[in-house]
Amino acid sequence: MTLDDYLIDREPFYRPLGDEIALFEASWAARLPIMLKGPTGCGKTRFVEHMAWKLSQPLVTVSCHEDMTASDLVGRYLLDSEGTKWHDGPLTLAVRHGGICYLDEIVEARQDTTVVIHSLTDDRRILPLEKKNEVVRAHPDFLLVISYNPGYQSVLKDLKESTKQRFAALDFGYPEHELECAIVANEADVPIQEAARLVRIAERSRNLKGHGLNEGASTRMLIHAGQLVRRGVSLQAACHATMVLPLTDDPDLRDALNAAIASCIA
Amino acid sequence: MAGSEPSSPLRLVEVGAGRPVPGSEMDGVSAQARQAFPGPLLARWLHQGRELEKVGLYGGILVSYQRYSPSIAEAVAPQAAFDFVRAIKDMAFVAGRQAAILLCSAGAFAANRLRDPDAFAGWSRAMAETAEQAPESATAILERMEMLLRRLDLGGLESWLATGLRVGGGDAQKRYQFFSFADPIAERTLIRETGDALFADREYRLRSFATALWGQEMVVREHGLLASGLSPRRASFDGNFLRVPPSYPGVRGGAAEALYRASLAHVAAHLRFGRGRFDLGSLKPMQIALVSLIEDARVEQLAMAELPGLRRLWQPYHQARAGTSLTAELLLPRLARALIDPDYEDEDAWISKARALFFDRRADLSDPATSRRIGNLLGNDLGQMRIQFNARTFVVEPAYRDDNLGLWDHDGADAEALESLQEVVESLRLEQGEEADAQQQKKAPDDSQGQPQRVNPEALPEETGIPVARLPEWDYAAGRQRPQFVTIWEWPQTPGPGDWVKLVLQRRRDVVQRIDSLVKAAKVSRPIRVKRQPEGEQLDLDACIAAEIDRRQGREPDPGLYMLTERRQRDLSILLLLDASQSTEDRVQGSTQSVLQVEKEAAALLAHAMDGLSDPFALHAFSSNGREEVRYRRLKDFDQNYDEAAHRALAGLESGLSTRLGAAMRHAGSFLDKQNTHRKLLLLVTDGEPSDIDVEDQRYLTEDARQAVQGLALQGIDCFCVGLESGADSALARIFGRANSLTLDRLGHLPDRLPQLYFRLTK
Repeated sequence: MTLDDYLIDREPFYRPLGDEIALFEASWAARLPIMLKGPTGCGKTRFVEHMAWKLSQPLVTVSCHEDMTASDLVGRYLLDSEGTKWHDGPLTLAVRHGGICYLDEIVEARQDTTVVIHSLTDDRRILPLEKKNEVVRAHPDFLLVISYNPGYQSVLKDLKESTKQRFAALDFGYPEHELECAIVANEADVPIQEAARLVRIAERSRNLKGHGLNEGASTRMLIHAGQLVRRGVSLQAACHATMVLPLTDDPDLRDALNAAIASCIA
Repeated sequence: MAGSEPSSPLRLVEVGAGRPVPGSEMDGVSAQARQAFPGPLLARWLHQGRELEKVGLYGGILVSYQRYSPSIAEAVAPQAAFDFVRAIKDMAFVAGRQAAILLCSAGAFAANRLRDPDAFAGWSRAMAETAEQAPESATAILERMEMLLRRLDLGGLESWLATGLRVGGGDAQKRYQFFSFADPIAERTLIRETGDALFADREYRLRSFATALWGQEMVVREHGLLASGLSPRRASFDGNFLRVPPSYPGVRGGAAEALYRASLAHVAAHLRFGRGRFDLGSLKPMQIALVSLIEDARVEQLAMAELPGLRRLWQPYHQARAGTSLTAELLLPRLARALIDPDYEDEDAWISKARALFFDRRADLSDPATSRRIGNLLGNDLGQMRIQFNARTFVVEPAYRDDNLGLWDHDGADAEALESLQEVVESLRLEQGEEADAQQQKKAPDDSQGQPQRVNPEALPEETGIPVARLPEWDYAAGRQRPQFVTIWEWPQTPGPGDWVKLVLQRRRDVVQRIDSLVKAAKVSRPIRVKRQPEGEQLDLDACIAAEIDRRQGREPDPGLYMLTERRQRDLSILLLLDASQSTEDRVQGSTQSVLQVEKEAAALLAHAMDGLSDPFALHAFSSNGREEVRYRRLKDFDQNYDEAAHRALAGLESGLSTRLGAAMRHAGSFLDKQNTHRKLLLLVTDGEPSDIDVEDQRYLTEDARQAVQGLALQGIDCFCVGLESGADSALARIFGRANSLTLDRLGHLPDRLPQLYFRLTK
């Protein structure tokens, strides 16, 4: 079995913010596990897809959640008519056959779940399957990438120190003004002036981070707004639908955001 | 508010005090009375006067009635003036002479205002009812009747009075504070009754809007009242500290919100594009006003270049029209409009020149010095045109702009220049700092009146504590406990300013917000999935497979095939113990705050979190002066609400003396021990290792504290300690164990970290 289904065949659009591509490539060459940090919607997942395409590696993505157990990652015995049969989990798949395993939002998973990656992320590069009594040696092309949003919830949910210290980390933020305009213009297929207005609006909402909002509008939200605008929705309505309503339920804050949006529109 | 009129009957009292009106009745009758009570009515009116005399209400009251009742008769009806006698009698009976005297003048004003017999009777009834329920406040209300009726109609007045009675409840002191406007709620309710939009109702959204613009964090307060009983009419800023009028009189609903929004955006533009303050130098009031106006226009231009939509916010308020009259009051608003509204046409040479100066070199607009240059040039022109400028009556137009006090540096300025600035600002305005101070000073004694048990300790001898317990101490050298060795004194709190906690919460809004989201997350206790249960809501897949494997292998399967989701309830009480010893007086490095202030802020934030979670919690503090005097302050107890009294107690906590840690912890443990919760947590914040004046051996108190922690652990009380940048971590680790103590290297982090720690400890 190979992971051909997990290969990415078309180049995902990605505009580098800095030297993250070179860093990723170097880490890949050394097979160092990588941690991507940054707020939601700033392009972490897109970056991983882009790198998987660039390195021609299959990409196995797991979105982590609270109820996830180690078996969900590693695999488990299932029953069929002949008896029990082992099924590899997504992590084991990537470990066996080589490729990038991307654990998205890893802090959502419980800490005792995430320790299964420990033996994979140091020089041992092995995955013991204790139920099956097997040790899987990682394929030379196996690389573990995790993403991690050091936001407000990191007080209750945080990685163990011993987990954190195994990774090389890349820090992502929202792109600089000009760059973000270019990204929005490209992704939403809108003129650059329109994109610039959207970015200006987003900067207003990012000013409210920590003053009522947990996060400001992300680049992803801007692209959504741009896509609505391109289909003929007015700018104010598009921003309201994609950048105000999803962000907050507080009527006062919505009002403040709408007023701030209005102040960006001549 | 009452002007000179209400005081005049008082003067008359002295003249006619104690005596009936003399001699022939007809002699004393004024022309007004003859006109108001024509024909037979006059005799009846005189008869009413005798009625008052009969019940002993002559003198001041009678004179006052005779003076004011003709106005009532003229404005409403003679009958109303006759009926009013009964109201006066009742008032005198319920609330005393002076109230009855004031009722007469207030009645005349009310009659003139209402001009309707029914309405006047309604007013009279409202007075009687209020006086009956709040006799102590009757004079205060009547003294202010003129102001009240100028701002409210009868319905509004009635509902304002009802609010006052409700706010005061059965407490005469509280009622009086409301009706004499010592309580800010009075003014707010009044504004609400007038229908004007209140800033307080919209504060959060307006402030959020201003922050969204350029990310500045503003502290916004309402203006206090001036001596005139009204608020300043313009916003005013000083750095990020902004004061706004509590309402813009006559502006309601959406219009008021738009005005506040314009005002906040304007100040935000000042903060974003201004650079420091202007030096006052020897500028004249008119030049100050002009430079301020140009600066206003300059920051608005820059702001609109970045956020074009702001024009919609500001421009509609510029309504000045071109005209021929050349006074400063008319010219300045025209100039303001000329500089923001490109379509505005004004042929005036001076305004055209100003426009040219302002717009011709747009590149210069980014430099505040431009404002000064243009303002001075224009000021000279006005001087040559001999245009007068009255600084006393000048008010910045349009209404959304601020009073410009924040633009000028008045620290280094000489007194004369300062005076002219203040004249411009508004002749009646108090200086901001003074105003705030005065309010605070006024507040403290006022409030302590109502709470005699919370006295100011400076006025009392030092030793006012009560000895409450004698506790043992551990002597490590002897290896045994010394029974009844330490005396704990319950020490009274010093109440501090009541709004201190609110200010802290507002200043640390980012932390508060994080806390609030954590509170929300923790409140809805997270579901926990319990696996391998004999019964439950779902099949446990892993257990089923294991059971099937067992079955096929011929072993007995585990019957726990299900899993269920459980919510664990929070069940803990927490006591936060603050070290208030002398060393907490030290300044924190790189800050103007003392260690204790940081501790208090952290306590305020933590208390906010605990209050939000409704965990029972207590705030206690201690210091010591030898083993015979360990002072223990209970700022807030478990069964006490976290209300203003607790806020005050926390705000008023001061440093002093030493740290006899073990004794304080044992005593704190005695409170926790009485709590009926599953977990009991003692959280200590200290700035160093234990010490006291009567102990030389450093190890002694450390070992005693360690013993105390162990003793508490036996009682089921967990102790955790946060040490502050002291280098005492070895001692603290020895006392509490390394896992149960945390030393912060940067004290500034404490207010942020303490609540976080709490969430982690109580998870």
